[in-house]
Amino acid sequence: MLPLSLLNAAQKQAYELKNGETFNGHLVQCDNFMNITLREVYQTSAEGDRFWKLKECYIRGSTIKYLRVPDQLLDAVKEEQNRAREAGRNARGGHGPGGRGVRGGRGGPMRGGPGVGRGRGRGA
Amino acid sequence: MDSLIPFTTSGALVDCVDRKMLVILRDGRKLHGVLRSYDQFANLVLENCYERIYHQNLFAERNHGLFLIRGENVVLMGEIDLDKEDDVPLKQVEYHLLEPYHLKELDDKKIREEAKAHTLLHTKGFSKEGGEGDGY
Repeated sequence: MLPLSLLNAAQKQAYELKNGETFNGHLVQCDNFMNITLREVYQTSAEGDRFWKLKECYIRGSTIKYLRVPDQLLDAVKEEQNRAREAGRNARGGHGPGGRGVRGGRGGPMRGGPGVGRGRGRGA
Repeated sequence: MDSLIPFTTSGALVDCVDRKMLVILRDGRKLHGVLRSYDQFANLVLENCYERIYHQNLFAERNHGLFLIRGENVVLMGEIDLDKEDDVPLKQVEYHLLEPYHLKELDDKKIREEAKAHTLLHTKGFSKEGGEGDGY
């Protein structure tokens, strides 16, 4: 799963900008530039000595250094994608067992030699 | 076989997925974690991420959990040899004990850099990148 799709699924996050300021809040929306709107935000100065509470804020993606996301998110997104895939398969009338992996893509051996059977990430 | 994947961001990083990596950021942070995902900008997802700080022969760790790093902040990334990881001749201490020393080191460095920049810009005739006199 790509980093930005993980971000899309996130709800509560902590952000650090390049200048060292941090923002803690609930994610409202984000786009492919990593621009973000947050609600109920706690802003902390770079020195960590001053705090602000903001009702809402917008952060330009290019100013972001990194994001901290909840650990459970990875599992949640994985499950969500599995469900979506399952639904897609049923909608197409379903392949039999072993219908997957015809191309040796997803669900293949994790390290089956360089470049073999690797789709995106780890088949999530 | 290797040559089938061109040397691009994606080509260079496939082999690092699900490995424990060390990532150094532009602000000097050293992050350890398992690389779970990345994209064409080298945005990274690190699981079980922790930050390490060093001072002399001591180090300390602070846990961060799941981390999403914007690619442009990354200086370098390297795989950690799990067999040799525990052999480092350093002693681990509590983070809060080491943090003051680490912060002081950062402050000192900042002051040094500022002094250096001052000398370069004002007495050695250097110009700021993109500033006046920088025609290139």
